[in-house]
Amino acid sequence: MLIRPIEERDLDALHAIAIETGEGFTSLPDNREFLAEHIAATRAAFEKTEDHPSLKDAPDLYFFVLEDDSVDTDASAADRIAGCCAIEARVGLDVPFYNYRVGRLAQASKQLDLNRVIDTLFLSSDHTGDAEVCSLYLRPDWRVSGQRNGTLLSRVRWLFMAIYRARFPDRVLAEMRGRFDDADVNPFWQSLGQHFFPIDFGDADRLTGLGQKSFIGELMPRYPICTAMLPQAARDCLGQVHEQTQPALAMLNAQGLRYEGYIDIFDAGPTVEAYLNDVKAVRDSIEVVAVVDAQAVDPGSPVTLAATMGTCASFRSAWVGRLPAHGELAVHPDEAARLGIVDGARLRVLCD
Amino acid sequence: MLVVRPGTPGDLDALMALAANAVPQLTNLPAHRDRLAERLAGSVAALERTIDTPGEEIYVFVLEATDDQGRAAIVGTASIRARAGAKEAYYTWRRETLIHASQQLDVRRPVSILSLSHELSEASLLCAFSLDARYRATTGERLLRRARLLFVAQHPERFMPTIAVAMPGHLDDAGTSPFWESVGRHFFVRDFADINEMAGIYSKSFIAEVMPPFPLYEPLLTETGRQAIGSTHSAHFAAAADLRDEGFADSRHVDLFDGGLLLEAPFKQLHSVHGNRWHPVRILDEVARDLRDTALLANQNTTAFRCIAAPHALSSTGQLMLSPADAATLDLDTGRAVLAVTLPRLGHETAPC
Repeated sequence: MLIRPIEERDLDALHAIAIETGEGFTSLPDNREFLAEHIAATRAAFEKTEDHPSLKDAPDLYFFVLEDDSVDTDASAADRIAGCCAIEARVGLDVPFYNYRVGRLAQASKQLDLNRVIDTLFLSSDHTGDAEVCSLYLRPDWRVSGQRNGTLLSRVRWLFMAIYRARFPDRVLAEMRGRFDDADVNPFWQSLGQHFFPIDFGDADRLTGLGQKSFIGELMPRYPICTAMLPQAARDCLGQVHEQTQPALAMLNAQGLRYEGYIDIFDAGPTVEAYLNDVKAVRDSIEVVAVVDAQAVDPGSPVTLAATMGTCASFRSAWVGRLPAHGELAVHPDEAARLGIVDGARLRVLCD
Repeated sequence: MLVVRPGTPGDLDALMALAANAVPQLTNLPAHRDRLAERLAGSVAALERTIDTPGEEIYVFVLEATDDQGRAAIVGTASIRARAGAKEAYYTWRRETLIHASQQLDVRRPVSILSLSHELSEASLLCAFSLDARYRATTGERLLRRARLLFVAQHPERFMPTIAVAMPGHLDDAGTSPFWESVGRHFFVRDFADINEMAGIYSKSFIAEVMPPFPLYEPLLTETGRQAIGSTHSAHFAAAADLRDEGFADSRHVDLFDGGLLLEAPFKQLHSVHGNRWHPVRILDEVARDLRDTALLANQNTTAFRCIAAPHALSSTGQLMLSPADAATLDLDTGRAVLAVTLPRLGHETAPC
């Protein structure tokens, strides 16, 4: 299994994933034209050289695929793609990036013998210019315990950002899907969003995924919302994730991303965030030299996540089956081929 | 015989009874003996003083009924607050409309919001109206309501250029305010009646302490809460109609607590102000009551202000003919001036008892 930047030839695979993920995955709409543009945009970002003038302020998208190199090369390209993940270098630069900040409004009155705070939603664009990790999806056939494919998809982004640090801003965030009830209804949307958006949750979410977000700014309530005026069921959604999103949240929490009081304007799911340099995987990953060795077969289990440090467009990442020692990592020729490296190449690695 | 006159400290018991019997209970007329005593004393003092800028004065008037045996009883009261927010701000919700439009979705929807406003702090307020049930829907009711305007007309320097009236808002069958349940309760954490009482008796500064400093979106209120915005309590439909007839118009403001409608008018546009005329008085033994339109008649005294409803009996030379009894009530002699304004006929109204 290896991670690499998406390429034009992956369009069929990406389309298949878009269909497979359905409405719940708004950043990948079932729209071939959109996806083709998506690929073109991300290719342009990967191909920028490190001295490109817009590197430090562009809303670049870095989109990766997980490729299964054990699948016969005769198979259609789509059958080799096991999943995807992405990084948006800077959100909110093309169209505003909105969320609600759950602020606290103090109420104190001696006369009423009252002293308390009311949670209040403030429309915010505070994350404008921050990086976002997003679009993580692993196809069901590859959800095999022990292979750690999900971990690979999640963590590779930290290695990428650590290696190409100059391409990214100081802060990074992830948006988590909000809580839905048994009838697949989001009570927060029902109590708030639906009063302002004359479309259903799915449509609103879909348009957002297509990047057509201008309607949000136009129809959103601009004044703060006192949550005291929302029904209890809606208040219970603030900052809560969908149960299927719990594992993803746990992984991000383990990296040091925290809920800081920002929620999604539609479903109230939490935004988790951190300073990029404080992210555990960025902090703990180290540079080593690859030593290609045909004897390096044990233990073989996915313990070290390795990423190449060459040009951005040639980025590769994969598990290597042993831990580094003394600044070196023994790499089996198969692993080297997977990473596209030769003996002596520099790698950035992250160990458990 | 009915007459409106300024309230005096001797009217306290009657005022207490009227406050207790008001339907619904009024924030601005609390059945609180000390407050009402202060108010009566303050009103008398204000009338005795020369005032050229409206301030904290509250002018209290009473409707006095005198029977054939000459026994007088107070059967109603009504006040004017010279400047609603003279001491503290007068809070209302101001309704505004925002257009939320999206070209992309091809929608344009008006969204109503309620903004806390102090705008009516700079208005004079007709308030604290309570009338003995036996006099409802009589000319006496309109006499009590409008007599204040004949006082205002004679003392513009004591009042603001805008006059406002807060109508009590809708309460459900259980006497609960749906607007309060949907808005106020979340912030004040108390029952409507408690807050109403506190606001009437004590300082209202707690309003500023607990209300959110930004507008509320009407769509986020409950259905019944929304319906109560700009409503009038059913016991006050006739009052609202009468005030509209007088020249008041629905304002953009609603009551902070119960969402009740506020009516508003520039002082000069009120019928009692621009439609009034001064006439010399002529006392006549027989003034035919039933052939004439009714008018409200007021003398030009301040502390001894009197206002009655009587036939609008004008002579060909513009004298207003008064019966000896009416002239005595108004404390007017032949040749003195009386201020008159016609009272439009209402089909359902009975003559004053």
